[in-house]
Amino acid sequence: MKVTWKNADGTSISAEVAPGVSLMEAAIANNVPHITGDCGGNLACATCHVFVDADWSEKIGPPEDMEDGMLDITAVERTQHSRLSCQIIASEDLDGLVLHMPA
Amino acid sequence: MTVWAPTDNGHADITSHDSYLDGVPHNTFARLRQDDPLHWTEYSQGKAFWSVTRHADILAMNAKPAIFSSAQGIRMEDQTYEEYLARRTFQETDAPEHMMTRMKVAKAFSGPVIAGFEDAIRQLCAEILEEALSVSEFDATKTIARQLPMRMLGRILGLPDEDLPWLVEKGDALIANTDPDFTTHVLDKMTTDEFRMMPFNSPAGAELYVYAKDLMARKAAAGENNGVLNMILQPGKDGSTITDEEFRNFFCLLVAAGNDTTRYSIAAGIQAMCHQPELLEQMRSDGSIWETAGDEIIRWATPAIYFRRTATEDVEMHGKTIRAGDKVIYWFASGNRDETAFETPFKVDLSRKPNRHLSFGQGGPHVCLGMWLARLEVKILFQELAKRLGSIEAAGPHKFLRSNFVGGIKELPVRVTRN
Repeated sequence: MKVTWKNADGTSISAEVAPGVSLMEAAIANNVPHITGDCGGNLACATCHVFVDADWSEKIGPPEDMEDGMLDITAVERTQHSRLSCQIIASEDLDGLVLHMPA
Repeated sequence: MTVWAPTDNGHADITSHDSYLDGVPHNTFARLRQDDPLHWTEYSQGKAFWSVTRHADILAMNAKPAIFSSAQGIRMEDQTYEEYLARRTFQETDAPEHMMTRMKVAKAFSGPVIAGFEDAIRQLCAEILEEALSVSEFDATKTIARQLPMRMLGRILGLPDEDLPWLVEKGDALIANTDPDFTTHVLDKMTTDEFRMMPFNSPAGAELYVYAKDLMARKAAAGENNGVLNMILQPGKDGSTITDEEFRNFFCLLVAAGNDTTRYSIAAGIQAMCHQPELLEQMRSDGSIWETAGDEIIRWATPAIYFRRTATEDVEMHGKTIRAGDKVIYWFASGNRDETAFETPFKVDLSRKPNRHLSFGQGGPHVCLGMWLARLEVKILFQELAKRLGSIEAAGPHKFLRSNFVGGIKELPVRVTRN
């Protein structure tokens, strides 16, 4: 699937991501700024925070309880589109997904 | 250029505290990374264990806490189950228990909350540095590095100033419990098992328990309801609150971990400035390095040399089999010098980016809770130091802690001129 990370400064990074890989891991592999994934996808750090593009929000869905709790400690304040990208797993039906980066 | 060249012969006993008296035996770890990345390591004080020394392996294994558990101890030393239960903090738990506790304390140490302390940290740094730099020769660990984390912890926890030196002393006794300069109960030379049920196998743990309990009572009596401690005592989303036992263990952890690690990051950074003179110049002239400098200093320092896990199932790796129940040690100090993960790993490069160092235990659920505070303290301390310095050089040999666990320069004589 193709995913695009849009930075606050207007630049963007796009990459092909294999199904089954988390979008946190994909961001690190593609040197996407601001995503450090410090806890390795274990829901303990909130350093892979993204805003899901409004067009994709419904398809991606809301966070589960534990993720919802961690979204309270993100560096940039959460919105209704906030997700931790370690919990979004690449699959073909997400092809074209757009994620916005916190500043 | 390397800041200092490791002097071990490549075959040091990495379990022996004495092997760390001249710093981490990096030649030995370099050999292990190259020749035997999953090394069965004999240990004279207990059961042998697997040493994991490559950056990529540590990251991959740390992300699998269900297979490599924290709930049977996180230090090299073996513990009975009874000792484990009595001494553990939330560092020594797995999901979901670990997350339940972590959620209660995470907010207080999150990036945005910690960012609110920037002015307080800067003011403290200025006070500490003005005092330290009033003379031209001093021990930088004692007069700079040891001061900031202690005073800052006191500030954010709302502790009385007069208690701080005592807390630092107890924190040192807990963590540096293998160095006779810091405790009378040197762990590997102890002849008593009197303290085996106390945090860190140390009488200081018991004293901190009592202090934390009194502190809670005092705050409750005074009706104090602000500050980090109170944030931690608030009920979580599910309505549960932190238990007395969790609080006391957490308090011990704060005093021990909060003091030591940032101190030794600062000390290692000052040591690097003495040996790489261009660092001071970069700090003074290149504002852009501050986005990356703190993390590089923390990589360079690696104050937590290792943490341990225990395998919960058999795992095949590098042609060997880790058996369920085997101890596995992630050598962060080795991962942070891994040539395949870092260009010129033995050089301090303040603009290193990306810098996927492992000093905070990155890659796993136990990633350092205090990392935002540590980064901010280190950054601001060096900003304020560079502003005031004309030059800095070593004024004598520095001395490392006697510890295979805490990587720290305990004596760092320096000579300075003011800007």
